[in-house]
Amino acid sequence: MRELPVFIVAFVLYIVVTGSMTLYDIITGVITGVTAALLFSKHLIKNPKKALNPCRWLSFLIYFIKYVTVIELRAHLDVMKRIITKETRPGIVKVPITVRDEYGRFLVANSITNTPGTVTVYMDDEYAYVNWISVETDDMEERRRKILEEFEKNAIKIFGGADE
Amino acid sequence: MRARLAGMLMLGMIIICLAYFLRSLFTSTPEISSLGKFYLQNSYLGERSAGSPEVVTSILWDYRGLDTYFETAVLFLAIISAVSVFRNMEHREVGDGFTGITKTGIKLVAFVTFVTSASVAFHGHLTPGGGFQGGSILAAVSLLVIAGFSKGALEGNGITKDRALAIRTLGLAIITAVAFYPLLEGFNFMQNLPVYPVRIRGLLISGSLLLYNVAEFLAVGAGFTIIFLLLSLPEVRRE
Repeated sequence: MRELPVFIVAFVLYIVVTGSMTLYDIITGVITGVTAALLFSKHLIKNPKKALNPCRWLSFLIYFIKYVTVIELRAHLDVMKRIITKETRPGIVKVPITVRDEYGRFLVANSITNTPGTVTVYMDDEYAYVNWISVETDDMEERRRKILEEFEKNAIKIFGGADE
Repeated sequence: MRARLAGMLMLGMIIICLAYFLRSLFTSTPEISSLGKFYLQNSYLGERSAGSPEVVTSILWDYRGLDTYFETAVLFLAIISAVSVFRNMEHREVGDGFTGITKTGIKLVAFVTFVTSASVAFHGHLTPGGGFQGGSILAAVSLLVIAGFSKGALEGNGITKDRALAIRTLGLAIITAVAFYPLLEGFNFMQNLPVYPVRIRGLLISGSLLLYNVAEFLAVGAGFTIIFLLLSLPEVRRE
């Protein structure tokens, strides 16, 4: 059962990478997908039901679109403004992170890194250590709200809650 | 006795093949093409040439110098990335690994790279790429696992040195069989058409090209994996 979602993703990826969908591509894609599923599913999937849930994939897509448009734009504008006004106060801060799911944490960490102004430097079980362009507050909760609350909410929607 | 006979037969075959391919070197004087004359004139003989008798070098670093320069830059970038991936490798102990971010990322990238390598190898007769290129990408997957997790992680998943050696041997055996089979049918060594079909049920496989590509893919991917396994150090158990 764990193999099925990995097979589907591998097959779709194969077709996308190949860029065509003739019978030959489908046959070799199935061979590749089955091999990839046998080799990787043990490591990639813990809960196949979650991986096959279309609602989670849909919220992933919605988040992706919102991320590359709205969130990225907002962060870019903010950094541009700081470059012009020289309003920077860089420093590494500790931010609590509550998502427990492996991919959820991965998504939050990379969402932070990919937006200009913040970089995840390190992450342990409870905290993310973030290099922030302008350290605005000493309050841990407020930092969490400013830096990763939105990412975390979406990560929970896509990959599951804090204690799943 | 039989083993010795087989060995002699093999050696004989190799000598005959070599002689067949090399005979043109000894029988005819090669003619210089107009392009060849141009290169000779401009790299060695001409007035404004660098006078280097090593024509290939003077083309690489002179007429085609920009290309070589950026090639070197690309290689340098590749080395920088390798160094940054392996930066924590010194005296690594169990438990000293990367954070979850890196490990999850490596799992996903390894998966995507694996699928891509297969696509490159399977489409070697249709698009640029092929068995060697696909196999090199495949070997990068094992290198990534060694760098991000450990040598033991790769071996724990069944990719041991002996298995990789078996896969490599299988690949080489297929290549040898495909190359020699036309001789049995009365054609030349490594001849493609008409021994192998261009299409099977309408699917273009370009005769022996697909077979060579798939076999080369296995041989190169497993071959480089063996080298990486031999060169990497196991983790030290903490006392």
